[in-house]
Amino acid sequence: MLKQNGYLQDVEEPDEGMPDDEQPMEAIKEFGQIATPIAPDPELNPYHCLTIIGQIEGHMVLPPRNKTTKYEHVIPQLVAIEQNPKIKGLLVVLNTVGGDIEAGLAIAEMLKTMNTPTVSLVLGGGHSIGAPIAVAADYSLISETATMTIHPIRLNGLVIGVPQTYEYLDKMQDRVIRFIVRHSRVSTEALRDMMFRTGELVRDVGTVLVGEEAVRVGLINEVGGVGQALIRLNQLVTQRTQGGIQ
Amino acid sequence: MILYTVIPLDDIFEGMEEPPIPTIEMVVGGATLELEPLGNFQARVVRIISSDPRHYLTSLYQPGSILDLNIV
Repeated sequence: MLKQNGYLQDVEEPDEGMPDDEQPMEAIKEFGQIATPIAPDPELNPYHCLTIIGQIEGHMVLPPRNKTTKYEHVIPQLVAIEQNPKIKGLLVVLNTVGGDIEAGLAIAEMLKTMNTPTVSLVLGGGHSIGAPIAVAADYSLISETATMTIHPIRLNGLVIGVPQTYEYLDKMQDRVIRFIVRHSRVSTEALRDMMFRTGELVRDVGTVLVGEEAVRVGLINEVGGVGQALIRLNQLVTQRTQGGIQ
Repeated sequence: MILYTVIPLDDIFEGMEEPPIPTIEMVVGGATLELEPLGNFQARVVRIISSDPRHYLTSLYQPGSILDLNIV
């Protein structure tokens, strides 16, 4: 990890270049409140935990009934975690029903390309676009009762009527397939087969993988829970430090 | 924009006709926050708009937090 000299100072000093006794006054003038952010000591919390829940919200704000993960908040958090040398590892906990395909892939690509060791844990559900996010981590786990639904994408709200639109659909589908295949032990044929299987889902084609089935097909690394996830994260962090990379 | 999800679209977009929640933007502690005024001089954080990643790790500004607006 590159040393970013002076770029990321301690979280306790958010305002650089301003004498300490002037900060509360600035806050009161701006907002009428003394904002003293609670900065947990990174030495005590070397691992961060990111939860991916509900719908992954993308370019459109969904009605309030939906629980959502806002990707525009997650991405800068990932950057902050990657930059901070005191944060040694990241645990990503998923319980999601999928969501915006581009926002989901954005999060997945960020996780994949971070140097900070990452471990993902699928609890409850890791459906649809949750699958690429789960496999994007350095190591993935799934709890025994969690499910992952592998199914084709649909062009919501658009009418498939012209050949160009069908190719577009295929291209979008390929984005997801390629990412999953590249970052897991599933082959393209096996993944397509699961995606387009009939008979398992009532209103759609696809496959429901429960717990160890996801491991057996090669999608997820291991069946386990929080305990195993943190042990694995410890191992990855130790390997990295021993390898000489900070 | 494709929604790749197991939830049927009618369920997701239920309530879409209702007008969006009015929000205001305010600079707090160096970060721009989009706030939903709650009345009684309180506001809920909707999102953070900042290029400083550290702001996104500050628990006080997390979306959903309620801030007190005590205008001096």
